[in-house]
Amino acid sequence: MTGPALSSTATLRETMGSYYRSLGDADTAPVAWCSSVGPAELLRALGYRVFFPENHAAMLGAARTANRVMPIAHAQGYSQDICSYLTSDIGAYLAGETPLKAYGLTSVPRADVLVFNTNQCRDVRDWFEWYGRQWDVPVIGVRSPRSIDTVTDDDVEGVARQIEALVPTLEAVSGARLDGARLAQVVAISRECSHLWGACLGTAAARPAPFTFFDGTIQMGPAVVLRGMEEACAYYRSLLAELEERVRTRVAAVRGESLRLYWDGMPLWGRLRALATNFAEFGTAVVASTYCNSWIFPDLDADDPIRSMARASLNLFIARSEEPKEQYIERMVRQFDVDGIVFHDCRTCPNNSNTRYAMPQRLSKRLGIPSLVLDGDVNDLRCYSDEQGRTNIEGFVEQLADTRASRRGA
Amino acid sequence: MMPDERARVVAGVDAGTECVKAVIVGAGGRVEGRAVAPTRGYFQACVYEVLSAALDDAQRTESDLAGIGATGFAMGCVPGATLTATDAACHAAGAYHLIGQRMTLVNIGGRDPHLIAVALDGRRADARNVRRCAAGVGSFLMFTARHLDVLPTRLQELASVADKPAAVSSYCSVFSSTAILERLREGASREEIALGAMHSIAERIVELGGFEDPVYACGGVVEYFPGVVRALQTLLEREVRTVPDPIFTGALGAALKAMELAT
Repeated sequence: MTGPALSSTATLRETMGSYYRSLGDADTAPVAWCSSVGPAELLRALGYRVFFPENHAAMLGAARTANRVMPIAHAQGYSQDICSYLTSDIGAYLAGETPLKAYGLTSVPRADVLVFNTNQCRDVRDWFEWYGRQWDVPVIGVRSPRSIDTVTDDDVEGVARQIEALVPTLEAVSGARLDGARLAQVVAISRECSHLWGACLGTAAARPAPFTFFDGTIQMGPAVVLRGMEEACAYYRSLLAELEERVRTRVAAVRGESLRLYWDGMPLWGRLRALATNFAEFGTAVVASTYCNSWIFPDLDADDPIRSMARASLNLFIARSEEPKEQYIERMVRQFDVDGIVFHDCRTCPNNSNTRYAMPQRLSKRLGIPSLVLDGDVNDLRCYSDEQGRTNIEGFVEQLADTRASRRGA
Repeated sequence: MMPDERARVVAGVDAGTECVKAVIVGAGGRVEGRAVAPTRGYFQACVYEVLSAALDDAQRTESDLAGIGATGFAMGCVPGATLTATDAACHAAGAYHLIGQRMTLVNIGGRDPHLIAVALDGRRADARNVRRCAAGVGSFLMFTARHLDVLPTRLQELASVADKPAAVSSYCSVFSSTAILERLREGASREEIALGAMHSIAERIVELGGFEDPVYACGGVVEYFPGVVRALQTLLEREVRTVPDPIFTGALGAALKAMELAT
């Protein structure tokens, strides 16, 4: 069974609600769309209101609206096999639907400029270009190297120059000049937010864990959409205090926690609650994840804003090659003391699925712990079978218990 | 009637994955006889069976045939065919012969539903199939009937009295079959499942896009499961009409093409 709900969640709702409502005031400031790990700090420093369509797509997935609207994008020629965030979002736009209606908006905010970073995938660019054509507004961005072994100074220099090259267009659209001091300030706030969010996630190293990956996917909202804003830091200070209190008083996110898992890959937004319940029924806590940790940017540095933004975007897990990814997961497995790893093979997100080049097998052998591959999708629930998922989880938990017993026996 | 006048008939055979259909077409493209039989692995035997039955229905003999047009999955297995042509071309020709105008034609056969843009002159201007994973809709309906423990022909009757469709995935025919068992275990009624299966097929077609009025539907699934057309109409929010004798549209088109060749 899952433990008590976090009381901070009420504040989270207010914080996120306030952000969404502010998007409706867009006539007072230009709007920039930004991919989730795009140069948000630069946009904020120039006075833009920043909208993150991946967050919007996740809302469509969580509300299970996605499957109703995706066919509209498919009918436009956007394949069922490409990013279901893209197809959900474009489908919803064409259907005139948005969860933002709950916050007084009638549609997603119309962009004055769209800014992507391909460090995660090409799909964000294709997605933004659709809107760029729709609204006849500029689509600019960073074309980042991918599958990087070691991030070199040359890599950083190349991306930093691309970020700098965005500035003239962004200044022209916003009508504001970039103020270096303001950018440094925003980067400092972003760094602080990242640090606080990392500390929150770190509390799950405790036994029992005070919160799980499933809680994290909700709690990460401010780290995603309010990067560079003081509101995000304020929220994470209060969340961290609650989590530390839970650790101190041994309040468990999963009652009777007996097994601990690591999650790699995207969430299945439309099945978050069901999966949280499935794992909790077996006394299993998913205590850490690559996904939630992807919004921790220790490289950000107010003394060298643009180069540090470039380095942060290149050091991102998703942009790295297999070996650094495996080393990262190994560190996480040790830090959070987990019994097994769940890999989500996300059908429409190959770049965020680490199951297709034998990583689960290599890591299981290297770390001596079992892994499970769950077939599913971030938004397209047609690609996930509840029945198969539950059966696989049940069998995996059984296997973990056996593995642990035999390890103890040895 | 003069013997040479009687000879001016042709046959059209549509050898599909679920059914083999044959028509006998006389002067002016008038259908004189028709027959359909389930497809079994012995394609040539099936073709003989339906061709004989269609000739009987038309009160004709094989010697009256001036040509045989063949189409469908097993068109290469039609003995004596004087012409073979694609599914899309034959369905476009057959539907245009009956409707007489440009249209978007949705052909829902047992294998892969496809969308055909029929031009002003009756030729296929464009055609698109559903994805590989979404194909096999005939087999999918057979599996659905098996899970509901009814004959396939009862699915329509069940669907017609359902209040709402059960959620049956449309991504992949195999996934969809498993989803049906899950819905049944959760307590969905047989009626809801039957309607859900029809919606599942309609969803796969909607994803093809490019519908322009008027929209017509044909094919074996349309003949036996008109609920699919109603589901399509609901999802598209536009009228979808049915071509007369929809299961024979392809065979008719093949016959018309054979007639064109013979004259």
